[in-house]
Amino acid sequence: MKIKNFFKSKPSVQAPDGKDNEVEFKAKDEVLDLADTPKPNKKKKTEGALKGPIGLDIGTANIVVAQNRGKDIRALRQLNAFFTVPYSNITKRTLLRDEVIFFEKDKKLYVLGYSAEDFANTFGGNTRKPIESGLLNPKENESISVIRVIISRFIQGPQTKNEKICFSVPGEPLDRPASVVFHESIIRMHLKSLGYSPIPINEGLAVILSELSSKNFTGIGISMGGGMCNVCFAYLSVPVITYSIQKGGDYIDRMVGSSIGESPTKVKEIKEQGLDLTVEPKDRIEIGLHVFYDDLFSGLVKSLQQVLGSSDNIPRLSMAVPVVLSGGTVIPRGSRERFEKALSNVRLPIRISDIIIAQKPLYATAKGALTMAMTEEKEI
Amino acid sequence: MSSSVVVYSPDDIRGRIVSKILRVNGIKSLLFSSHFEVKEAIVRNSPALIILDLKKNVSSELNFLETISYELSEATIIALADTSSVHVLENLGLTNLLCVSDPLDPELVLSMVKDTLAGEFSIRAYIHILQKALSKFLRLVIRSIKIIILLIIGLLGGYMYWCVSTLPATENLDEYSPYESSKIFSYDNVLLTEFYVERRTFIPHEKIPKHVINAFIAVEDMRYYKHHGIDIIRTIGALFRNIKEGAFVQGGSTITQQLAKMLFLKPEKTITRKIKEIVLSLQIEKKYTKDEILGLYLNKAYFGARAYGIEAASQAYFGKSAEKIGISGAALLAALPKAPSKYSPFKNHGESLNRRNYVLKRMLVAGFINEKEYHEALSDPIPIKYHGRKHKAPYYVDYCRTVLEKKYGDRLYTSGLKIYTTLDYKDQLKAEGAVRKGIEKLKKRGIEEVQAAFLAVDLKTGRIKAMVGGTNFWDSQFNRVTQAMRQPGSAFKPIVYLAALKKGFRVDDILEDQEVTYVVKGRDKTWTPHNYREIYHGTVTLKKALALSLNAATVNLAKKVKIKNVIETAETLGIRSKIHPFYPSALGASELSLMELVYAFAAFARGNRIEPMCIDRIIDREKLALVEPSGVREKVIDNKVLANLKRMLRAVILNGTGKKARSLGRKVYGKTGTTNDYADAWFIGFDDETVAGVWVGRDNRMPIGENETGSSAALPIWIEYMKN
Repeated sequence: MKIKNFFKSKPSVQAPDGKDNEVEFKAKDEVLDLADTPKPNKKKKTEGALKGPIGLDIGTANIVVAQNRGKDIRALRQLNAFFTVPYSNITKRTLLRDEVIFFEKDKKLYVLGYSAEDFANTFGGNTRKPIESGLLNPKENESISVIRVIISRFIQGPQTKNEKICFSVPGEPLDRPASVVFHESIIRMHLKSLGYSPIPINEGLAVILSELSSKNFTGIGISMGGGMCNVCFAYLSVPVITYSIQKGGDYIDRMVGSSIGESPTKVKEIKEQGLDLTVEPKDRIEIGLHVFYDDLFSGLVKSLQQVLGSSDNIPRLSMAVPVVLSGGTVIPRGSRERFEKALSNVRLPIRISDIIIAQKPLYATAKGALTMAMTEEKEI
Repeated sequence: MSSSVVVYSPDDIRGRIVSKILRVNGIKSLLFSSHFEVKEAIVRNSPALIILDLKKNVSSELNFLETISYELSEATIIALADTSSVHVLENLGLTNLLCVSDPLDPELVLSMVKDTLAGEFSIRAYIHILQKALSKFLRLVIRSIKIIILLIIGLLGGYMYWCVSTLPATENLDEYSPYESSKIFSYDNVLLTEFYVERRTFIPHEKIPKHVINAFIAVEDMRYYKHHGIDIIRTIGALFRNIKEGAFVQGGSTITQQLAKMLFLKPEKTITRKIKEIVLSLQIEKKYTKDEILGLYLNKAYFGARAYGIEAASQAYFGKSAEKIGISGAALLAALPKAPSKYSPFKNHGESLNRRNYVLKRMLVAGFINEKEYHEALSDPIPIKYHGRKHKAPYYVDYCRTVLEKKYGDRLYTSGLKIYTTLDYKDQLKAEGAVRKGIEKLKKRGIEEVQAAFLAVDLKTGRIKAMVGGTNFWDSQFNRVTQAMRQPGSAFKPIVYLAALKKGFRVDDILEDQEVTYVVKGRDKTWTPHNYREIYHGTVTLKKALALSLNAATVNLAKKVKIKNVIETAETLGIRSKIHPFYPSALGASELSLMELVYAFAAFARGNRIEPMCIDRIIDREKLALVEPSGVREKVIDNKVLANLKRMLRAVILNGTGKKARSLGRKVYGKTGTTNDYADAWFIGFDDETVAGVWVGRDNRMPIGENETGSSAALPIWIEYMKN
């Protein structure tokens, strides 16, 4: 199995409607060597030649693929977003020339990934999301097509029969019942159609598998993405509790934006440009961000208290367990302290030893999924 | 009974928690969530321990429990249920019951399982830990081995590439140029001879007789026509044999490899050389036919006696062309290349004969000759006479060659060295003349076919001034100065007297000179040393006893001094031959060479041990002179003892068996020696500058002639040389 050399190749993919569409893959994907410190803005060229099982994180904001390369794990990230422009030959040629990832359907050109964001900024609109609140966006007809094309750019297909691919799925939302089953099935079907043997993994559990190997995979893993927060309490890697709340980074952006009359995009930009929750906020946007971070953490720990408290599956533990936070939402400095503060306000049926931020928050889920895929591969 | 723990839990998560903690701790568990599955597992496995998760409701599980109660009557049950449920289970006859109430405590369950499985657990846990550690260790080992193998492959690859890249081209094989000869001079600049690669007379392989080729194949490379340059079977066989013998007794090189080595490579014993040799061999095999290779080998090989190539060798050893060589001759020639000097018929007759016969045996075994031919060839004598070119001071030159070959190997013949020896050619001519005269005198007394050897050494440096190894080198290359081991007779006695002086005896101390019979220790034998002409003096001084060479008195002295001290003294003087620890050794019964004896006497002159020295300096092509160090070594005789010893050796000349030397009219010292039946006659003596020794005798150890003593047969030669 290989990651496609998408800078040069022109593969043909099956369009959602069954028709063949010629899709040009020339885009700027983010590649990260997980042995290094993450540099989110640095874009490296992929070197291909990755082998073996695959970990796949299909999040609201990003799609991340992790795979082994020798002793290291390589991860590739692409924005999980799209933007449509009317079809014209001249536009298509421009997209081809500028190495933009796109596909063509119904007289529209679907620009995907980071390029979609560039187009949205240029044309003064918002990108559209194939995933909303962690699940396939029911309002977008082409959600699965977009995801399929983005995933297909990373992986070329299995080299052996039934090669393992482990993909992340959210826990059942507490606050707004939604069908995780549908989401999981669609993704599974697609991966299976590519020839893989797909295995779903709860996002929170993936975080635990990625970060808590030294703790015997026992603890609470929370993946705080754009659309939702996924929580898992695992004992010796057995997921005892899994759930999600459909609030995440996008919720903060939206709430801050509506509270102070700014666009969520601008709020997001400020948030991602180095928000520091350990220092006093400088302006209204930062105040808003502080407020809604606290709100999110507060809601999260309350949900944790509620779920853990009401579960009769929680085993009696002689030792305190860690909480590991990951996902783009916990990147701002001070997230750990804010969460700790929020946690101190509730009582849980299990003791917490420490709170840690994943080594590479944007990639922990994919890495955990890869760990699971590798384990399954070994057990064959 | 199965060693697995059966876990039943309708709750997937609780079941997995219990199952996982057991597995993490090395306990095998089987998890079931349905009645049907667990029942089947219980019936099949008859588990010793079953964990039943009855948290939901014991009563709802009642029917199921009833159906399995019989099978579980012997098993221990850990029930994950309220304590209130215990009586329900007991009513079912399940008595070995442990109860764990909620919340689920995996560690408690684990502890109960451990307790229940007790011994079985500990062993299994131990095995589990061991397996983990072993697996980790093995992974590390495998990884290390992989790295090492890769490194080795890389290094070997690079090394092989380097080896191959520095190989000479086999295309030049036919045009291989001759080497530059080395010149050997006397100390006074007289060219004695040249050491060179013998001008090869090339003989085409078609003209080489079949039995000559067969002889070489039989002894050097039996599978020659079957391999492609490298004989793996032979190499492995040689390796095993050498390991078994603990020494290098068999080589694995094929004829092609030997050809590659002799043509292109230095004689060093290194892996690099071996690899190059293998690669070259393969190249040669690719380029030439088997017969051509064999022809090249036979025309290039060194056979000793300065003969390179089968034709030159045939001429040197047999005085005829290789085309005319018979089976026994072929066998001898095939015997030589392995160690030309060791198996030289001129130097080591016995070894040479044995090796030739071995070759014949191999030829017989290989079917190259039949029984009749074999026995006929065995009865053929091996040559004793060299048929090569003549040169000056031949014994000395041959001795120098032996010394230099050890140091320079084949370079001696190829490197264009200028070798200045210590030989004084005028002295050499004098020595040769003296020997000739001495032999002529013997002839006049009716004594024929007697041999003589002479050696003169400079006392200040240990340099050999003159050497005559026999009466005619061209008839017999056997060097009687260096190679002949003979009994020294009375010439050994000064060593006994030196040992006595060292022990504190004085020159004038009295010794008994009577016929005494000694019992040989450990044997039922006696030995009585007799004086020459059976004259006994009763008592004599040490000085007189040595001067008159009295055997009885000398043995008496050796007894007093102890023979081990005599041997020790001999060793300090540089004698390396074995001196047997018996009294006859005091009278010179232990064999040694003339050279050893002359150098021992050299120590008598100045008190220092002196090593033989035959090379003065060597000048290479770059005009770089390599000067040999002096042969004078440590002081072994203190001055007082030395003075007394010299008094005694002077008395030999003045009043004893060496009286004839008084004719020289100057102060000389020495000692005669004569062995039983007049088989050996010796005189070793010195003046202030030169020590010289003479031996006269027959190679077959027969008597020289009646009354031919050291004094009558050897001393005149010595005097002749020491004149002027």
